[in-house]
Amino acid sequence: MSITSLSFILFTFGLLIVYYLLPMSKRWIALLVASIAFYLIGGPASIIYISVTAISVYLATNAMKRLSDERKAFLKANKTVLSKEEKNNYKNANKKKRKTILVCTLVLNFGFLIVFKYSHFLITQVNTLLSVLHCGQIYNSFSWIIPLGISYYTLQATGYAVDVYWEKVVPERNPLKVMLFVSFFPQITQGPISEYEVIHNELFAEHQFTYENFSRGFQRMLWGYFKKMVIADVLSPYVTTILGGYKTYSGITCLIGAVLYMLQMYADFSGYMDIMCGYCEMLGIHLTENFDRPFFSKSVSEFWRRWHITLGAWLRKYIYYTVAVSKWNQRITNKIQKISGDKSWVSSYVPITIALVCVWSFIGLWHDASWVYLKWGLWNAVFIISSVWMQTKYDKWREKMHISSQNRLFRTFQVARTFTIITVLEVVAAVEVLHGSGAEYFYRVLTDHSVPNTLNQLLPTNGSDSNTTRISLMLAIFGLVLMLVFSLIQRKRRIRDCFNNVPVLVRIPVMVVVVLIIALFGVQASWGVGAFMYANF
Amino acid sequence: MNKLIEILNAIRPGVDFVNASNIIGDKLLDSLSIIQLVSKIDAEFDIEIPVTELIPQNFNTVQAMMDMISRLEEE
Repeated sequence: MSITSLSFILFTFGLLIVYYLLPMSKRWIALLVASIAFYLIGGPASIIYISVTAISVYLATNAMKRLSDERKAFLKANKTVLSKEEKNNYKNANKKKRKTILVCTLVLNFGFLIVFKYSHFLITQVNTLLSVLHCGQIYNSFSWIIPLGISYYTLQATGYAVDVYWEKVVPERNPLKVMLFVSFFPQITQGPISEYEVIHNELFAEHQFTYENFSRGFQRMLWGYFKKMVIADVLSPYVTTILGGYKTYSGITCLIGAVLYMLQMYADFSGYMDIMCGYCEMLGIHLTENFDRPFFSKSVSEFWRRWHITLGAWLRKYIYYTVAVSKWNQRITNKIQKISGDKSWVSSYVPITIALVCVWSFIGLWHDASWVYLKWGLWNAVFIISSVWMQTKYDKWREKMHISSQNRLFRTFQVARTFTIITVLEVVAAVEVLHGSGAEYFYRVLTDHSVPNTLNQLLPTNGSDSNTTRISLMLAIFGLVLMLVFSLIQRKRRIRDCFNNVPVLVRIPVMVVVVLIIALFGVQASWGVGAFMYANF
Repeated sequence: MNKLIEILNAIRPGVDFVNASNIIGDKLLDSLSIIQLVSKIDAEFDIEIPVTELIPQNFNTVQAMMDMISRLEEE
């Protein structure tokens, strides 16, 4: 079911009525039924895989909890009888059992993800190797439908299993509640990837209907639809035309195409988040935020802490820290330290570097099973790692030049530099996915100084060139300006607080106008685009 | 405790860690510094800080770090 379709609006508002008609303690059941229905409409066969994930996680977490309880009870009962060594032996044996359960759960769930998402990529690589060795090829022409949201719910479910293994959370005893935690439909296609403790409290708390939640949620949903349908979907044909056929366009057009691609991606992804966070707010549920004005970041690593925040938090918690403090990482660091003659910088930087390479390889492949995105991930790693390694020298250089880190001009430079790096990395990947050359694209930006004569040459589109299209483009540009203004206001105040201070006689007409703009221009633009960009991941 | 303060000052020179009461919350140490700190503590105190101990409560004050180190030394 498309989130921009009328059927989705009817579905969500129908759920809203049923949700608030039910007694507060039973409302989560309405969410579960709706999530399963949403999933069945999206692809009936896929329900099997998400159910296996929910059941496996439910069984594993409860089995691990039983083992933890057994250990605590045994150690308490034999506190004075056992020696320290005996206690440690018992603890280790118990931990080993829990680890086996966890590893089996991870293998099963990441196994699904690998089979569905990466099998073609992996077989292609094996076939390339086999052709070099003049051997036969493995059949690779099969096709299957990737279960809806598998990249998102796998991370959320496995994160929960790891938390129980670490004994940080108490597992849920009700399997249906685990099913809702894994399949909650507003976050199934593009996140946010919620932490169990956070989303569990939100889903199963008893939420009373309040006008404030309803109106604020509705306002946010509306703004999300505006961002998706009036900005992202209107810009989409221009961006696709320029990035796909850059060889025929001027440098300035390619530059505009690159910037518009970034803004389109932001409007698309953050628009989805606004729709879903807004809708959940109407239900009284607060989802974890996924964006914090990322284009105002002063470094690449800061950008990735403010863009797709929940994915970054998941990776930091389960991969970055785990790898950085792991024994094997320490062993590699010690070896390098010995080879380098006991240099102190090795222990400071090597564990972080190894962890960052692992994290960014994972992010690259998570985005797409291709060399293009693996390369994209590793280039991000290069910028982040080099900024870590160079930080001290960079600070000394800044001090020498008498530039304060709070200097407004310097901070503007940092923001512009970060935006440029991120844009180049994203556009190179997007162009290469379309079988072009990222290097050639930016060579054109830098060297082609021809001036387009008409607006159609400056902003070409393969779509129609009617008056409606031009008005839509003007509205999209106006929307981009609004996004910028709202971002600037949000530095100090929440935009909806400002909006809700405006008299209701002004607020209602404004919202009616937004609805009309979406209906008149957004719906038409969405017909040609439809899907959300991040839903592909 | 002096050994720990020396390590902290080597990672972030010029920060008053002794009187700081919210080191993580006030962003005196970021995720990169935490990893540097953990590997240096592991080496200096001959302990192994597991990933489950990497929570703000264990790093918000010098005393909290010392408590964690003592606990891990005992184990």
